Formats: sequence, structure tokens, C-alpha cells
Amino acid sequence: MSVFVILYYTLLLGASCLAAYYKKRSAFLLLFSLTLVSFILGIIGGVAALRIVAISAGLLGLSAMVSYAFREFLIMIAPRNMAKELRTAPLTAAFGMFVIFTVAIAGIFAPFIAPFGEAEVISSAFAPADENMLLGADQLGRDMFSRLVFGARNTVALALAGTVLAFTLGALAGLLAATSGGWFDQVIARTSDVIMSIPSLIFALLMLSIFGGELANDTTSFWLLTGFAMVTGLLVVSAVSERSVMGWVIGLAVLAGVSAVFAGAMLILFNPSEIILILVVAVIYSPRVFRLTRAVAGNVVVMDYIEAAKLRGERTWYLIRREILPNSTAPLVAEFGLEFCFVFLLIAGLSFLGLGIQPPTADWGSMVRENATLISFGDITPLIPAAAIALLTVAVNFVVDWMLYRSSGLKV
Amino acid sequence: MGDILGLVAKRLGLGLIILLVISVIIFFMVELLPGDIAQAVLGQGATPENLAALRKEMGLDQPAIIRYLNWLRGAVVFDFGNSIVTGASVADTISERFANTLFLAAYAAVIAVPVSIVLGVLVALARNSIFDRVANVATLTSISSPEFFLGYILILYFSVKWGMFPAIASLSSDMSFGELLNRTFLPALTLVLVVTAHMMRMTRAAIINLLASPYIEMARLKGTPPWKVIVKHALPNAWAPIINVVALNLAYLITGVVLVEVVFVYPGIGQALVDAVSKRDFPVVQACCLIFAATFILLNLAADVGSILTNPRLRHPK
Amino acid sequence: MTKKKDVLLKIRNLKIQGYSNESWIDIIKGVDLTLHRGEVMGLIGESGAGKSTIGAACMGYARDGTRIVDSVIEFDGMELTTATEAERRALRGSRIAYVAQSAAASFNPAHKIIDQHTEAPLQYRLKKRLEAQEDAMMLYERLRLPNPKEIGFRYPHQVSGGQLQRAMTAMAMSCRPDLIIFDEPTTALDVTTQIEVLAAIRDIVDQFNTAAIYITHDLAVVAQMADTIKVLLKGEEVEEATTREMLEHPKEDYTKSLWAVRSFESPQRHRPKDGVPLISVRNVDAAYTGGAKVLDDVSFDIYEGMTVAVVGESGSGKSTTARVITGLLPPSKGEVLFKGKPFPADYRDRTKDQLRQCQMIYQMADTALNPKVRISEIIGRPAAFYSGLKGVALKNRVDELLDLIELEPALYYNRYPPELSGGQKQRIGIARALAANPTFIVCDEVTSALDQLVAEGILRLLDRLQNEMNLAYMFITHDLATVRSIADEVVVMQHGKVIEQGPKDEMFQPPHHPYTDLLLSSVPEMDPDWLTTLLEERGIDNVGDAASARIATDDPRVSGTGA
Repeated sequence: MSVFVILYYTLLLGASCLAAYYKKRSAFLLLFSLTLVSFILGIIGGVAALRIVAISAGLLGLSAMVSYAFREFLIMIAPRNMAKELRTAPLTAAFGMFVIFTVAIAGIFAPFIAPFGEAEVISSAFAPADENMLLGADQLGRDMFSRLVFGARNTVALALAGTVLAFTLGALAGLLAATSGGWFDQVIARTSDVIMSIPSLIFALLMLSIFGGELANDTTSFWLLTGFAMVTGLLVVSAVSERSVMGWVIGLAVLAGVSAVFAGAMLILFNPSEIILILVVAVIYSPRVFRLTRAVAGNVVVMDYIEAAKLRGERTWYLIRREILPNSTAPLVAEFGLEFCFVFLLIAGLSFLGLGIQPPTADWGSMVRENATLISFGDITPLIPAAAIALLTVAVNFVVDWMLYRSSGLKV
Repeated sequence: MGDILGLVAKRLGLGLIILLVISVIIFFMVELLPGDIAQAVLGQGATPENLAALRKEMGLDQPAIIRYLNWLRGAVVFDFGNSIVTGASVADTISERFANTLFLAAYAAVIAVPVSIVLGVLVALARNSIFDRVANVATLTSISSPEFFLGYILILYFSVKWGMFPAIASLSSDMSFGELLNRTFLPALTLVLVVTAHMMRMTRAAIINLLASPYIEMARLKGTPPWKVIVKHALPNAWAPIINVVALNLAYLITGVVLVEVVFVYPGIGQALVDAVSKRDFPVVQACCLIFAATFILLNLAADVGSILTNPRLRHPK
Repeated sequence: MTKKKDVLLKIRNLKIQGYSNESWIDIIKGVDLTLHRGEVMGLIGESGAGKSTIGAACMGYARDGTRIVDSVIEFDGMELTTATEAERRALRGSRIAYVAQSAAASFNPAHKIIDQHTEAPLQYRLKKRLEAQEDAMMLYERLRLPNPKEIGFRYPHQVSGGQLQRAMTAMAMSCRPDLIIFDEPTTALDVTTQIEVLAAIRDIVDQFNTAAIYITHDLAVVAQMADTIKVLLKGEEVEEATTREMLEHPKEDYTKSLWAVRSFESPQRHRPKDGVPLISVRNVDAAYTGGAKVLDDVSFDIYEGMTVAVVGESGSGKSTTARVITGLLPPSKGEVLFKGKPFPADYRDRTKDQLRQCQMIYQMADTALNPKVRISEIIGRPAAFYSGLKGVALKNRVDELLDLIELEPALYYNRYPPELSGGQKQRIGIARALAANPTFIVCDEVTSALDQLVAEGILRLLDRLQNEMNLAYMFITHDLATVRSIADEVVVMQHGKVIEQGPKDEMFQPPHHPYTDLLLSSVPEMDPDWLTTLLEERGIDNVGDAASARIATDDPRVSGTGA
């Protein structure tokens, strides 16, 4: 029996007894069941297992403290009505916000934070950590930490772009389908049914196998982007102009210009293979967004105030903008977070398979793949980028969970 | 009963149509390639004569619609032509791997389904307690972790550090069943972890939804003991949502299986698909995609048919 | 019948708290209640008074998200708040039973009605299964359910709402409890169906000398059912007295205001001799896509400045008629004329001016006003949309409209609908309709979601506006009191057909069409003897569904009216 084990059980049992004495029912249940589990774990796994439990508990405690402090910090700097909302946030949500905040900072200021460039070879392959390299080197001798920081920028930016595109198309189609109904609604709903009946990863692989090769060039991606923007824009134009011919002419002209500018801007920001990836993701996830938006907007559209506005002769665009959107923001924002998680995991998965973001761009998914061999030597290096992926997704999910709880108002 | 059969038939018909549309998408997407498959096979340096010969051999001189119909006819009897990389029959390469994948998915499902439904119901009954919150955080974490993260953690501990299970799931035909289960334990466990989290959350939501119905309150107010409220009043109505949860998650397994197969170098169809995509072996890609999509649709179909069949309002029409 | 006078249920200082916004808030603030054996007590109050919560508390039951704090609930000498859960459960179903508002939702869809009926007797080992089933059939027969021998072997969704409500009452009776809690058992039913259920409940409670707590918001209903009445307001008791005394001499002002029979009656207007009707519905048939015909050859006229009330039960096609007039549902046959000229069938084909002429006020002010839009914009938008007002002119117009509906402009201009009370919201809905300067307004059950007094205020307001602006109203309602107070002409609808129409004074004088007669006679009155008298006059088999089923075929006037 080491001192550690004695200390471990003393602490746990002492805390359980205190909780029981002060009638903290849930705390006692948790602590005491942990004690019971520890007995079994200690017998099976020995001291090492108990040590893992202790370390995890310590980490949990630390993150709880960070979350608590971060929430108080946010409450202090936020404007009054937002502070009131924040006060209701559980610690998990605060933790989520903290992680998102950290990743955002790392991504935005990557070149200043990272000590080395993302493709800079500075030592031998798989060199261990030293005072220069916080996390050691990867398979080509590049600094892991720097690549992790740059990865935050590349992976997240890509996922964000994909989510925004998917969301714009899906949400617009959903809002329009809910307001206008009829054949338009039917056609879009059936189309999204078809797309959704192909598993997302499989569909992504299929599309990447087609567009991943020599088609990933500037011209193709420009036209694909323009096409995507035109489809999205057509929805807006049809809602704004409705039956006016003049409206259509002007709308289409404006749309063509906007689409071209958008495609050009995207080409400056991303390289062609990344654009293909973004578009693939957008095509796969927009039906999901469509379905949810259609459902949310569908609940609003049956309200009498929409009927009143329709009978007044209001245009579809007014209905969407002034009547429906303000009443569906909360679920849509939560859905955006959820979609981001899906997109982010899909892109990470594709990169892990070597079919997503291409080297030498630093990216969390491909970093796992590149260093995977180390795992068989008991080295946790490949787990670090994988953990980063998990951490960010968990963080977003925690925040979304809180928002969903608030927006549904359910007491479940 | 006419109603219910009609509904089921309608749903089956719809599934068939969707499958047909998807086969069209899968086939004609490849047609989008600049040049054609022959060009892709032979590369940039091919002479026009060679190209023409290969085109004739692969039937590329025929119009696309004819080729699609031929391909579809083949697909129905599990004949997908030959690989353009190895030249071997696609069906031969895939069929054994498909069986392996199904085995892995079934292995995971056998563990995950009962565990997650029981846990989901328990958590739903203890809702808002500390255990519910812990379960909420734990399942959320598990859902958010990519499959390869869980997979490598399991490899690190169970295989490298503690040496309990093999990290590489290499299979051979002369293995005993126990050996097979041991070899494929880690990939199956990875899938179980992800799917259980999903299923628990969905089961919990379904049960809580159910427990809020007025007839459950009525049963309580009739003095029915709690266990009987669950068994007699909640469960008969819970079948539809539970069947839905199970089918949807089995469908989810199919996507998850690709990543897990790559992590554990498992000889399944997912691994074959990934290889084919990076080698641009289109007949294999098409075949794998069609198989995945068909399984996915089938499971969704099963979910819908299941909830139609267990709906008391439909089973006992007016 | 002699009633034993020993106390069955004694509640002292009942406090119930609800959990909302992270804290516990009092819902019930110290209510006392004493119920004797065989006594029926009516709990009455407006929505939000806490009636249902008290009902559940009588069983020692707190719904999810509520809790009972330092109260005394004594049932037959047993303290429920300190009893164990098992002890409390042993009372439920056997000695205290519950009848819920919505029978359709409260029966488990997965089991046959009779199996749910026999669950409690089997659970408490009071009867064998076959005995329990025979007893159920006997109860079904006493409650005058059709086919008492077999109706129990159907599933809940195979039985109509009124029958299901009686089956639930039978289920509550299954263990012959000492006390039954009736939680708004007839609120979801039509008037003609309600009467059967009321008669059935009253008989069976009398026969078995069961004590009951009857919860409702409808005064006339409680007057028929209860021996004593307790009035509640916002979780507190206002007063309690025997039914007759309460009806004749209410003490508190709040009770008096509830009791005040609608005093308002607008003088009846008559059609101009040779005018063109403002709205003329001509031989309209209509159906929802894929559905059966909902309207069958509907014709009536509405003249300028007059109110036409359209009366009927749910499913009679009142609201569908309104949808045809407003253009939301183009008719499959026939047409709507506006000042003698055809109105385009689809609202999308109407001009701005045509749309402006015809406005709507809705039943549920909650869903009729966008909760995320300020009052100034809700009212201002139509004014700006139709007459292009901007800036100061628009603000003046909104102020003027707020003045018209008797709300102080400065106080309401910048507020959002969820901050207003039900009556205020309904007024905003009226202002929105007026903002368009219409000549014709469809009022769809505008007062039925409101409490009595508020509703009367709305009716007075509508009448004043009608006189000032010469508006025509189409008043859709199922409430005959509303018809009496505001209508000039009445249209009675049943199963999508116009059964009878004419000026109000003629409609309230016999002879009637049999359906109109049934409808008029089924509306409960504030007289405690009304139900008894009615049943004596008409006979038990000549009310409710039985009576309405008999009408349609054998009456010559059915085919004779309509045109």
C-alpha cells in the first residue's frame, strides 16, 4: 500500500462522509459510487488505475475552475442583458466557450503564437520534446506545437467556410419552402431526401474521387463556386422579385456579379483542392440544414400572424425577413453549432484518410495520420491533434446543448 | 389491415425509387470526369490507338444511358465489372470484405444495442439527477470524439500498454471464432463507444417524451406502481421510437466503420473504398458506394416500417 | 337523497410551488378546502387560477416541476403529505379517482379501453378479471354508451371524444372510489355532446353517492353539477358558498363580475331595402386538397355596416367559409362577390385595394401577433403598406389607432406582444385590422379565448367601432350569448351546410329548424335546475349526439333552407 493509495481512499471516503453529513444528496451519491468503483478498479488495475482516476479528477477540477472563472469574466465584461443570459450557463457551457475562445485566438494569431512556420523542418524526424519544441517533432522534423496552432487556423477555417455555405443554402431553401409550400417545397424535400440517404462520409468519398484529381484546378473551382452561389442567389432573387419581370432581370444581373466576386474572393482565401472540399461538405450538409429549417419555419408559418401578413399582400421576402426569421433565430443558431460539429468531424475524418486537406498544410486530421505509427511505441503524439479535434467538438456541443435547452424551454 | 399493408408497400416503393435515383447519381457522377475512365487508366501519355482499343473493350463507345443500364443489370446480380487498377473482378474483391464489415458491425451492434437501450431507459428514469448530468457530459464527449481518437486511445492502452488485445485486426480463414472475437475486439469496442452514446441519448429523449404523455400521468393517478407504468404503459408505445433509434444507429455504424477499419487496418469494405478513392479505381468506388447506400436505405426503411407496424393506431384501424 | 355529513377531505393552507427560471415560485398560496362524503364541490376560476393543480394535490400528487410545501391534506383521516409514496399510491384509483380533460390523450393508445378500465380493480385485487369486465359493461350501460357490451373491446382511437370521456368516467368508477376529481371533463367537447356527458356524470355520481371535485371555468356547467362552489383567483380563494347562494348572492366583487350575465346587447340593425350586399357568398363548395367536401352549397349575404354571426359546432365549416371569403381557400364551385362584383378566388390574385377591404381578427391573440415585433410596427405596417404613410404621419396614425382601441399610445407604442394581457393583445389585433381602413372584418371566435368580462369589453369596442366606421362584421362563434349581444343576422351551419339563416330576432323565436333548436337548448344556463328541467322536457334520449344524428334525414326543412 503506497501513501498515494491511502491518501486516495482517505480523501474520497472523507468527502463522501462530509457530503452525507451535510445532506448533499447528489454529491454524496457521486462520491460514494466513485469510491465503490475505485475499490474494483484498484483491485483490477492496481495503483496505476487509481492514479489515472486521480489525475482525471484533478483535470476535471481544474477545468471546472477555469470554466467558472471564465464565466464570471464574461459576465463582467458583457453588456447587462447578455450577462443575465450568461449567468444561466452551466459550467460545461462555460468550458465550451473557453475552449472556443482559445482556439479562435490560436487560429487568428497563429503566425505570432507559433514559434516556427507550419512547413518549416527544424530537427530530425520524431525528435522528442525539448526546450525548443514543446511537443516534439513530427515525421518530417517539423515542430508539432507550431503545426497544432496553424492547424487550428486551417482546419477550423475550412470547416467554418463549409458550414456557412451549407447553412446559407439549406436555411434559405428551408425558409422559402416553408413560406411558399406547394411543388417547390415538394421538389426540394424529395431532393434532400435522396442526398440524405447516402451516408455523408461515403458521399464525400465519392465526390472527392471525382473532383479530387486534376479537376481540382482554379477554373473548375471558380465555376463550381459561381454555380453554387448562383443557386443560392436564385432562391433570394425568387423570394424578392416574385412575379415582377423587372425584379428578375435586375436580380439576376446583380446575382451574376455577386457570384463572380464571391468565387474570386474564395479563390484568394483557399486553394482549389480546399474549395472542392468546402463545396463537397456544403452539398452534403445543406439538406440536413434544410430539413431542420423547414421544420422550425414550418412551426412559425402556421401562426395566424403569418396568415395576416400574407392576406395583407406582403412579399415572401418580407415574410421571411421580418416575420419568420426573428422567431426562429434561437434554434437556427444552435443548429449552426451542431452542423459545424458534423462538418468539422467529417473534414477531420477525410483528412485522416488522406483525402481532405493536402500536405504540407498543417491540419489536425492529417497530423493524426502522419504520426499514427508512433502509437505502437506507446507515444501519445498522434493523440494530441486527435484530442484537439475532440476538444473543440465537445466545446461546441456543450454550448449548443445549453442553447437548445434554453430555446426549447423544456424542463427535462 | 389493408391500410397498414398499403403504407408499408408505399414506403418500400419509395425506398426503391430513392435507391434507383442514387444509382443514377453514383453512375453519372463519374461521367463528369474530363475525358473518360480509359483516359484515367492509361494516363496522359496514352496513344489514341490504345485509348480507342481500351474504350471498345470497356464498352465506352456506347452511349452513357446504355452503359448505365448494363451496369445496373450487373449490380442487381452483384456484378460490378473489373477493377481498372488490378483488372480483377470487383465483386470478388469486395464480397469477402463486405462480409467482414458486416461481421464487425454486427459484433458492435450486439454489444451496443442492449447496453445503450438499458442505459438510456435508466438515465431517462433518473432524469435531472447527478447521474443523468454525468451521462449527458460523457455521451456528448463520446459523440464529439472522432472515431480515430477513440480507436488510438484504445490501442494505446489495451494493446500497447496493457497488451490485452491485438492492435491490428488481421484476419485469416482458419481462425477459431473466439480468436476472431479477440482479434476484432478493439475495432468493435470503438464502434460500440460511439454508437452507444448516440443511442443512449436518443433512447433517453424518446422515453422522456413518452413519460410526459397524459396517459402516463393517468396511469400514475390510477395508482399503478412505477415498474408497471413503465412495462405496461410506456413500453408498448416505446417500440416505435426504440426501433427507430436502433435502425438509425445501425445506419450510423456503417459510416463509422470506414474510419475504424482504417485505424485498425481491418480488411473490410470501408478500407477498400478508401484505397479505391485514392487510386481512383472508379468501378470499385461505384460498387462500394452503391453497397453502402443500399444498406443505409434498407436500415432507414426498416426503421420506418417498424414504426408503422408497431403503431397501435395503425394496427387497429377504425 | 340523504348525504352523510362526515368530512372526507380536509385541506389546510395548501401551498404549491412551481419551478421556473431557476427558482421556486408560489402557484397556490394557501387554500383551504373541506369536502364531505357525497358532496360535489365545484372549483371555478379563470385560466391560471391553479384549479388543476389543486385537483392533483387532492390526491397527494404534485406534477413534474411542482412541489407541495407545508400543507395539510387529510383524506379520510389520513395525512397525505407525510404518508409514504406507497401509501399514497394505494389510495389512487381505489379511493380517489381522476378524470382528465382530454380523454383522447389520457387513454393509452396501446391497450383496449376495458383493459385500462379493469387495471385498477385487478391491481387492488378487488375483483377477478371477468367480474371486473362485467362491472365495466354495467357502468358503460349506466353511462348510456352505445353497445355497452362491446365498446370496451375497442381501442381508444376507435371511439368518439364524448364517448371516450364517459368511458373515462366509468373507469374512475371502477373501484367505487369515495372521491373523483373531474378536471374540466367537458371543455374539449361541443355543446351538444357536452350535455350527454354532464348528464351521465351527474347521474353516476348521484347513484353511488360519490364525492367529487368538479373543476371548470364554465359557470353554467358548474351550476348544474356542484353542491358548493369555490371561486379561485391566481392561486387564492375568493369565496365559497352553496351553489344556490353563490348564484343568488355572491359576496365578493370578483365573483359578482364573473356572475354578471352578459348585459351588453347591441340594437339590431336591418338590411337596407334596396342595397347591394357588401359580401355575397354564392353557392360555394370547398374542399381541402385531397379531402372530402367541407362546404356544400353555402350562400349568404353580408350588408354594409351589419354583423352576421355564423354559428355552428366544430367541423361545421364556419372557419372554412371565412377562408373562402378571404381567399385563402379558393372554392371548388361558386363565387364570392364584393359589392356585386366577383372577388378573385385566390388572395394572391387580389389587388392591394381588394386585400385592404377585407381584414381578419383571430381567436388566439397569442398566435395572431408576432411576439418579436413591436406594437408600433404591428399596427404601423398595414398603415404604411396600404396608404404609404411615413415618419410623423405614420406615428400619428398609430397613435390615433391606439386611441381608438382605448390603449394609451405612449405606454404601448414600444412594447412587445408577450408583455400584454390577453384582452390588450386582442385589442392590438383589432387595431391592426383597422389600420387598413377596411369595410369588412372577419372575426373568428374573437372572444372565446378570453375571460367573460374582458370578452364583453371587446364586444362593446367592436360595436362602437362598427357604428363609427360603418364596418361590416362576419362573426364566427359557437357561443350563443355572443350572438345575442352583437349579431344583426344569424347563419346556422352544420356539416358544411347552411341550415337556417335570418335576422336575429326571428332566429331566437321558435319555431326553429330542429338543429338550431338542439343547439339553442344545449347551451348551459346559469340556473342550477336547467339540466334537470331540460332532461325532463326532452327526455334523455333526445339530447346530444343521439338527437343530432336523428335530425339530418327526416326533416323537410333541411333541404328547404340553404338558398
